[in-house]
Amino acid sequence: MSLWLAGLALLLVKIGLVLFVVLTGAAYLVLAERKLLARFQLRLGPNRAGPLGIWQPLADALKLLMKEDTVPAGADRPLFLAAPAMSAATAMLIFAVVPFGDSLTIAGRPVPLVVADVSVGLLFVLALSSIGVYGVVLGGWASNSSFSLLGAIRGGAQMISYELPLALSLAPVVMLAGSFSLVDIVSAQAGCPFIVKQPAAFLIFCVSALAESKRLPFDLPEAENELMAGYHTEYSGMRFGLYFVGEYVNMIALGCLVAVFFLGGWRGPLLPPFVWLMLKAALVPLVLIWVRATLPRLRFDQLMHSSWKVLTPLALANILVTGGLMAALG
Amino acid sequence: MVFTWLNVGILVFLVAGLLFGAGPLLGSLLFAPRMSGGDARMPYECGMTPHGSSWKQFGVNYYVYALLFLAFDVDVLYLFPVAAWYRDSQGWLPFVKIFLFLFILAVGVVYFWRKGVFSWPRRIMQ
Repeated sequence: MSLWLAGLALLLVKIGLVLFVVLTGAAYLVLAERKLLARFQLRLGPNRAGPLGIWQPLADALKLLMKEDTVPAGADRPLFLAAPAMSAATAMLIFAVVPFGDSLTIAGRPVPLVVADVSVGLLFVLALSSIGVYGVVLGGWASNSSFSLLGAIRGGAQMISYELPLALSLAPVVMLAGSFSLVDIVSAQAGCPFIVKQPAAFLIFCVSALAESKRLPFDLPEAENELMAGYHTEYSGMRFGLYFVGEYVNMIALGCLVAVFFLGGWRGPLLPPFVWLMLKAALVPLVLIWVRATLPRLRFDQLMHSSWKVLTPLALANILVTGGLMAALG
Repeated sequence: MVFTWLNVGILVFLVAGLLFGAGPLLGSLLFAPRMSGGDARMPYECGMTPHGSSWKQFGVNYYVYALLFLAFDVDVLYLFPVAAWYRDSQGWLPFVKIFLFLFILAVGVVYFWRKGVFSWPRRIMQ
């Protein structure tokens, strides 16, 4: 019984730490994005709240807290209220299966540094990214605004189209690791990270992940100049904040997934495993911000073409090449 | 391992995540102002009063993508168990089988391509 309680306490501590790190990371990613975008555009960025603007996330959160949480007239109320939570929760749940290090030994027992080592971890991640589509589609549809509806339909079409190359690009990773568990995938990269063996899959995964995150150059669901804010036009206050948090948590989650699937996860010399994972996971958000400052938005047909005519066939070919090489090399 | 039924971890994580989300919402319920009357709750449409509901017909193009996705995603699910087992397989027979499976999948894409689904604006050949 006491062992059971100790296990539960340990689980709660792990979950608390993970959520704290992820949410703080997301808050400061917002600041980092505003600072970096400002520098790319020869501006200073937020610098009033505290030295170098380090209290800006706190100020933003307080401001959102003090704003009215409006529900537009004629909206589908339950769906409208629930949709942002769906968007944020699916992004956060991805961290339940991301391993942060090798298992520690506490009181003579191994403690894995992952919230849940699910044997179908990779499928779990894909399922969550599919459920994330609901947050966008239902939120946009329930608003009863034309802009929101257009954003939601675009978002749905875009996200399910890029779901496929995302899943297909991970099939070679599963073939090499022989397992769906993220812990096993990391330990399969002990010799050399999969980016060396699977450069094509890495590229396909990165582009699809960029599209899944709905950021420039793939931000058609919320294109400001044509759709105001797309699917979250009608959201205000803390509920808008939830969409916002979801987007930035999702960026960090994608960074962690790229690190786990292709960059060897928490492995690295000298520094502790957790620091290595964070460093690798920070790469993707930084590149996403850089891309946002550099590239213009795609046209909708170009967006669809690049998924169905380029990425999906490429991913299918990549699976075949991997299979052929594995069979040839024994 | 202390905790063998790890899937509880995911459920607890979900509850914790929901609490993290619900906390601020509760806070905004307490602190945020509430307005009544006027046009504050009118759906946004660049300052004009919107004509009726926005729940009406939209381009059928998107519907085809959903169909395509459905067909593909089920196939991808069949591919994954094979991929997990592939490392332990012997010889070229599994490769040939995967090739056949992927070939049929690819024919699906080519079919829709030829049909003109990916051209925009859409020109579906009869």
